[in-house]
Amino acid sequence: MSARPRPWRALLVVLTAAGLTLGATVAAAAPGQPSAGSGVRAARAAAAPAKDTCDPTASSLRPSGPPQVTPGSFMAKIRQRGYLIAGVDQSTYHFGFLNPLTGQIEGFDIDMIRAVAKAIFGDASNAHLHFKAISDDQRIPDVTSGAVDIVAHTMTITCERLKSVDFSSVYFEAHQRVLVLKTSTATSLDDLHGQKVCATSGSDSIARITAHKAIPVPVAQWTDCLVLLQQGDVAAISTDDAILDGLAAQDPWTKLIGPPLTDEPYGLAISRQHPEFVRFVNAVLQQLRDNGQWAASYRHWTGTPAPALKPVQYAG
Amino acid sequence: MTTRVGVSPDPVTTAPAVRRAWWRSRLDGATTPARLRLLLALLILLSLAWGALAALTADQHASAAASVVAVSEPLSLDAEQVYTSLSDADATEANAFLAGGLEPAAARQRFQADINEAAIKIEAASALVGASAARTQLPGHLAKQTSAADTAIGDDLAILSGQLPVYTDEVGTARADNRLGLPLGAAYLREASTLLRETLLPAASDIYTRESAQLTSASAQATGLPLLVIAVLAGLGIGFVFYRSSRWLSRHTHRMVNYGLLLAGLAGLVSLVWLAGSFVIGRSDLLHAQQQGSAPAQAYARAEVAALQAHADESLTLIDNKGDDSYQKDYVTQQNRLGPGPGTLLAATGSSQAAAQAQAWYQAHKALRVKDNTGDHSAAVQSALDGEAASSFRQLSQTLSEGIETHQAVFASSARSGRDAFTGLAIGMIVASLVMVAGCAWGLSRRLAEYR
Repeated sequence: MSARPRPWRALLVVLTAAGLTLGATVAAAAPGQPSAGSGVRAARAAAAPAKDTCDPTASSLRPSGPPQVTPGSFMAKIRQRGYLIAGVDQSTYHFGFLNPLTGQIEGFDIDMIRAVAKAIFGDASNAHLHFKAISDDQRIPDVTSGAVDIVAHTMTITCERLKSVDFSSVYFEAHQRVLVLKTSTATSLDDLHGQKVCATSGSDSIARITAHKAIPVPVAQWTDCLVLLQQGDVAAISTDDAILDGLAAQDPWTKLIGPPLTDEPYGLAISRQHPEFVRFVNAVLQQLRDNGQWAASYRHWTGTPAPALKPVQYAG
Repeated sequence: MTTRVGVSPDPVTTAPAVRRAWWRSRLDGATTPARLRLLLALLILLSLAWGALAALTADQHASAAASVVAVSEPLSLDAEQVYTSLSDADATEANAFLAGGLEPAAARQRFQADINEAAIKIEAASALVGASAARTQLPGHLAKQTSAADTAIGDDLAILSGQLPVYTDEVGTARADNRLGLPLGAAYLREASTLLRETLLPAASDIYTRESAQLTSASAQATGLPLLVIAVLAGLGIGFVFYRSSRWLSRHTHRMVNYGLLLAGLAGLVSLVWLAGSFVIGRSDLLHAQQQGSAPAQAYARAEVAALQAHADESLTLIDNKGDDSYQKDYVTQQNRLGPGPGTLLAATGSSQAAAQAQAWYQAHKALRVKDNTGDHSAAVQSALDGEAASSFRQLSQTLSEGIETHQAVFASSARSGRDAFTGLAIGMIVASLVMVAGCAWGLSRRLAEYR
C-alpha cells in the first residue's frame, strides 16, 4: 500500500524520515506529535528505571493510523529488497509448522506475517516472503543482528525480553497448562509429583515443572515431547495451551488438564532499531482485528471461536 | 654328521665322541641285515614325520586361507553392507520426507530394498558366526582371539536384529503421521534417525571393525613364514639323510642305484617343491587380495558411509532445523572426515574423481545452506531433492560404490585363487610320504632279501 498524496501527511513523512536519520535535532522540529525516533526512546528511557511498572501487555508502540510504507522507513527498505524475512517455527502445529502435505510453512503465526507482507507489497505471495526456521534460542539474537526482520514464533512478551527487542501488540493470549494421555487420572500438574514431565530445553515451562515437584525431561522440540508421551517415556507435557492444543490435535488420545498456570501474551518480535516498523505492524494487527481476519484465522487454526478481545494497550 | 658311516672308529677321548663310538660300535658289531633293518626303520620314521609336518603346514595355511575367503571376508562384507544399507535407508527416508506431500514411490522402494538387504545380511552374518565354530580349527592364539571376538559380534548382531524392527516401526509411524499432514511425523523421523545413528550403525561398525581385524589376522596366518621355514628346513634335513643313506647302501651293497630309495627321495623332493611353490603362489595371491582388494574396498566403504551420513544430515537440517544446528554440525564433521586432504577418508581411497565430486557437492551444499539461512527454504529443498546438491552427491556416491565393487571383485578372485593354491596340498603331502615309505620299504627289502 503506497502513501496517499495528502500534503500534511507528506510533510509528516519527511519529518519522520529526517527524525530517524538525524535524531533529536530534527525531532524537535515536529512538536505536535512524537516522532518515531527519539521521542519514544526518551519516553521509554524515563519509564525504564521503574521496573515494577513494566507491563508486557502494554509495552508496544501505538500505530499512527493505517499501515503506510513511508519513504526512507524500514518498510520501504524491505519493499526495495523485494521480500520480508521472517523467523518462524517449523514444528508447532497450528501456529508455525511445515505442512507435510504441501511443503509450505503454515499457521496462525504465519497468517500474521502474511498480513504484514501484504501491507508492504500489496500481495502476500511467496515471492515476497522468506521464512527462516529458527530455534527458541535464536529468536532474540536473529532479531537484534538483523538476520530476520520480524519473528513470529509463539513468543511470549516478557519484561526480560523487552530489554533486547521490541514487540508488537499482543496478538494471542496463551496460558501454561498440562497435556496427558486420556487414560491418565491426573487432574493438574500437582498430581504429577515425582513423575516425568516433558518440555523443550530452555523454555520457561521447565522451571514451572520443577516448581511443582515433577521431574522435567528437556527435549529439542515440542513434537519430540509428544513422541515421548506416546512411547510412554513421560507422564505429561507442560507448556502454553496454544502449543498443547496443537499436540492434542495430532493425537486424539490426549487431553489438557488443570487450571491455567500462567499468562503468556504473544507478540511479534522486531528490532529496537525500527520503531516505525513496530507501529506499522501494530497498524496491520489492528486492521486484522477490525476486519475480522484475526478472528477468522484464530478459528481456522485453533478450531475454537476467537475469545472476546481485551482492549489493546500501548506504551506510547 | 661329519664322520663317514662304516669306517672303523677313531680313538676318541671327548664325551660326545665316546657316546657316538658306543652306538657306532653297536652298529658295527651288528650284522648287515640288522643294520639294514635299522636303516629301514629310520627312513620310514623320517618319511612319516615329513608327511605329518608337511601336511600340518599345508593344512594350517589352507584353513587360514579358507577362513579368509569363507568366513572373515563375507562377515566383514556383510557388516559393511548392513552399514551402507542402513545409512542409505536413513538418507533415502529423510530425502523422501523433504519432498513433501506423498512419498515418492521410488524412494519407498529404495528404502524397502535397503531394509531387506540389511535384514538379509544380518541373518547371513548370524549364520556365519554360528558356523564359525569351524574356525576353532585355527591354531591356538587365533582361535582364542576368534571366539572372544565372536561373542562381541554376537552381541552386536543381537542389537541389530532387535533394533531394526524398532527403527522400521518408527519410520512407519513417521510416514503415517506425515500422510495425515501432522508435523509429528518429522519428530518420529528424527527419533528413528537418532536410533539408527546411535544404536544400529555403531553395532554394524563394531562388527565391521572386529571382522576386518580378524580378516587381517587370518590373512597374516595364511601368509606367515615361520611354520613353512621349519617345514622346508626339516625337508632339506631329511633329504640329506636319504642322500647319505643311499651312499652308504651303494657302498655296502655294491649297487650304483637303489631304485626304492631314489623313488622315495624323488617323492620327498616333489612334495617339498610343491609345498614351497604352493605357499609362494598362495601367499602372493592373498597379499594381492589384501593390498589391491580388501584394503582399498574398506577405504571406499568408509568414505561412502561418511558421505551417506552427511547426505542424511543435509536433508534432516532442511526438514527440521528448529531445535539446533546439530545436523549441520554433523555434516561439517563428516565433511572434515571425508576430505579430500591429508589423512582423510577420500585420501585413503586415492580417487581423484571422488575428491573432485566431493568438492562439488560441498560447494552445492554451501549454496543450499545460504539459501536456507536467508529464508529461501524452498530453493534449498529444491537443491537437495533434484538440484545441484542432489546430483553432485549422487555422482560422488556412485564413484564410491563402484570403487567398493571393483575392489571387492579383485579381493574375491585373488583370495579364491590364493585359497585354491592350497587345495589338496595336505593330502598330497600325506600321499607323498606314503610313497616315500613304500619306496624305502621296497628298496631296502630287496637288499634284505639277498641275505636270506
